[in-house]
Amino acid sequence: MSTGNNNRQKKSYSLHQFTILIAEDFPFMADLLSSMLREFGVGRIIVAENGRDAISRLRSSNGDSGSREPIDLALIDWLMPKQNGMEVISWIRSHKRDSLRFLPTILISAYTSEAVVEAGRDNGFNEVLVKPVSAEKLAQRILYVIDNPRPFVKAPNFFGPDRRRKDLDYSGEERRVTQSEHIKVNHER
Amino acid sequence: MSDKEKKPAEDTSNGKTGENAEVEIFHRINRLKVKAGGDAKSGPGFLDPNAVDRAQQRIDEKAATYPVEVKDVLKNLTDSWNRLKGDTDNRNASELEQLYNYANHVKDLAATFYYPLMQHFGLSLREFSEKLDLSKPAHHTIVQAHIDAMWAVYFGGIKDHGDNNAKELKEIVSKAIEKHGKTD
Repeated sequence: MSTGNNNRQKKSYSLHQFTILIAEDFPFMADLLSSMLREFGVGRIIVAENGRDAISRLRSSNGDSGSREPIDLALIDWLMPKQNGMEVISWIRSHKRDSLRFLPTILISAYTSEAVVEAGRDNGFNEVLVKPVSAEKLAQRILYVIDNPRPFVKAPNFFGPDRRRKDLDYSGEERRVTQSEHIKVNHER
Repeated sequence: MSDKEKKPAEDTSNGKTGENAEVEIFHRINRLKVKAGGDAKSGPGFLDPNAVDRAQQRIDEKAATYPVEVKDVLKNLTDSWNRLKGDTDNRNASELEQLYNYANHVKDLAATFYYPLMQHFGLSLREFSEKLDLSKPAHHTIVQAHIDAMWAVYFGGIKDHGDNNAKELKEIVSKAIEKHGKTD
């Protein structure tokens, strides 16, 4: 377990330099998530009360007139009034600025169905956190985002973190673009 | 570092210009890890287990307030429904949105603190409110059945699906949906 035992060889992370956005319309849930993040030592927590507010805060922190402390990670509820989580992630991933389109994001949902996890993945979320939320689960998702950043993929109908987490044997029809002349690889310097 | 100061991601590995590329792959510098005190080459890290324990305590404290919180939301939900009932012309879109949001909040609270039966009714009402037509008396019956069931769950202190009362309540609501939903 990343957050518990066997930590002797591992690096203890500090989140005090992190700015995390919580996009959650239900104040009780926003408070709950904030209080957990505070205990994790997160330096700055911003709460947006709906999707529109989340976009406004992201724009002012990470957009053209971005602040010195841009948002590092966004926790986004799926169902919110005035632009839901899927609309917010769509706005983020289609933005021209790198600080937004590559922003690490975690979808929060009370649905446990595979369809929701797939929808989160296919819309460009890095991770999905399913309620009921526990401190351990939230910590694991944050650690996963920190330790396992997947490359971003831009395809005709998708932009977001690589949806393939594992290299598994596959014997079906090849649907991916595999010829190197059709793939451009970018390494940030 | 702001984007203005930063060089854009550059192609360094396969020499493709991207003009004909169907797919682009971006390998990014792991800024989060550096910010957390790690470095790109180090293995996975961890959060202070005491901090995680303290965070769990915050959840446990909040869990104790569940009955008060869910009662407040149920009252708001009921009030919202009472205001909507007379709107047989479906004019009050903002109130309808409120009903949807309150049902969603009931579901969220119940899911967070593991009250599956309340979660079930919250979700069911939220989904039904998406197609709610106030000009149809049958739809009124279905919404009312949900709200009555949620109050019964609350006052009965019923948590799981397994209880006989839980089964009965679920049956009442599903029969209401089955019977009155057919008038669509």
